[in-house]
Amino acid sequence: MENTTKSPKNIKASEVAEFILDAGVFLMASGAHSGRVWRNCRRIAEHWGYRMNFNPTFTGIMVSVWNDKDSENAVTRYKTAPANTVHLETLTQISHLSWKIADNEIEYDDACLELEAIKHKAHYPFWLVALAVGISCGCLCTLAGGSPVDAALAFCGASVGSIARHFILKKQFNQFLSIIIASAITTLIAGTDTIFGLGRAPEMTLATSVLYLIPGVPLINSVIDLLEGYFSASIARSLFAASIVSSIAVGMILSITLLGINNF
Amino acid sequence: MELISTILIDFALAFCVAFCWGILFGTPWKALLAAGLLGGFGHGIRFILLQSNMGLVAATLIASVSIGLLGIYVAHKVHNPPVVITMPACITMIPGLYAYRSMLAGIKLSDQAILDKDPNVIPTIAHNAVLTFSLLFTLAVGISISALLFRNKNIGIRFDKNRSRSKDK
Repeated sequence: MENTTKSPKNIKASEVAEFILDAGVFLMASGAHSGRVWRNCRRIAEHWGYRMNFNPTFTGIMVSVWNDKDSENAVTRYKTAPANTVHLETLTQISHLSWKIADNEIEYDDACLELEAIKHKAHYPFWLVALAVGISCGCLCTLAGGSPVDAALAFCGASVGSIARHFILKKQFNQFLSIIIASAITTLIAGTDTIFGLGRAPEMTLATSVLYLIPGVPLINSVIDLLEGYFSASIARSLFAASIVSSIAVGMILSITLLGINNF
Repeated sequence: MELISTILIDFALAFCVAFCWGILFGTPWKALLAAGLLGGFGHGIRFILLQSNMGLVAATLIASVSIGLLGIYVAHKVHNPPVVITMPACITMIPGLYAYRSMLAGIKLSDQAILDKDPNVIPTIAHNAVLTFSLLFTLAVGISISALLFRNKNIGIRFDKNRSRSKDK
């Protein structure tokens, strides 16, 4: 292969594997589908003169890196992925980094430093996320046929729930627990619409206000992985998404039972 | 005239949804506007198709595929991978209402008294669950359409050219 005959960069296979794993699991946890992780990693490995193969599962990545000319210089490693937090900016930045490496613009040490910087990149502040979540749930409610009162309640429910979830996660509680509590709070606030008959379409308020918890990225990624043939990653992702959806349902059931099922 | 204004309102609302969803997903702020516009465009298409009596699933499929295809072009303009903007854009069409209805019917199913009063609970669950899953699947097809139709490598190379060109300027 042409790519494997590039000038030796004096980088050991274990170093390449370490870098690829670091970038790969982080991409995976930030919401990249397996095909994207594979493309980015292979681009890096080929430029540094190695061939690679990997087995992505949602919880971690196993990677083999080897050199056709130097059979001693080969390694297989596994790394567990960090907790799943969707952050699409990571995808952009690691993609750019991998192209920089492929274009020979950056050396191994600098690439490691840059990867470290990408890992510590902050997410949007939680109050902005809460505001955005509120606005989008309000807009979704209007789109589904709700009146402005319905939309306002959806806004309140989603924002308060999102803030609550942020603080629960900050205390390092289980993320499914955080989703149950957040969806219960949101449903309690949105449920007042049904109880007091405030808006025109109270059903829409309830249905749309918890949408911010829906694991859209894992759900869609699981289908993409299925279509591209990464079955184990696909199954793991759909299980993860399914348990989040059932957590949302549990939270809603708690609140709906509290408010009285016959009212809905 | 009234129809045009309804379409515009639909576009504006979907724009807000996609824009804000981009913030939730951590899309880079430069790409947020692109995500919002794509979301508004896709939802607008779906709205028009629904108005012309097309089925919900078919309309969503067409809308999400057009988001996916247009997303490839827009992504190169804003120097981001397509999925970063198509993901929030497609989320505007997430079948939340149907998921909620099937869940609510599921709760009702556990209560004998409600079941006796309204035996339609099971068809309600089945109908809404099937709708939810088919809509989710169409969204995923729309987002991955670039990877499905074009070979991965071509897109990568095009993306790279754009990146180096932007650097030359």
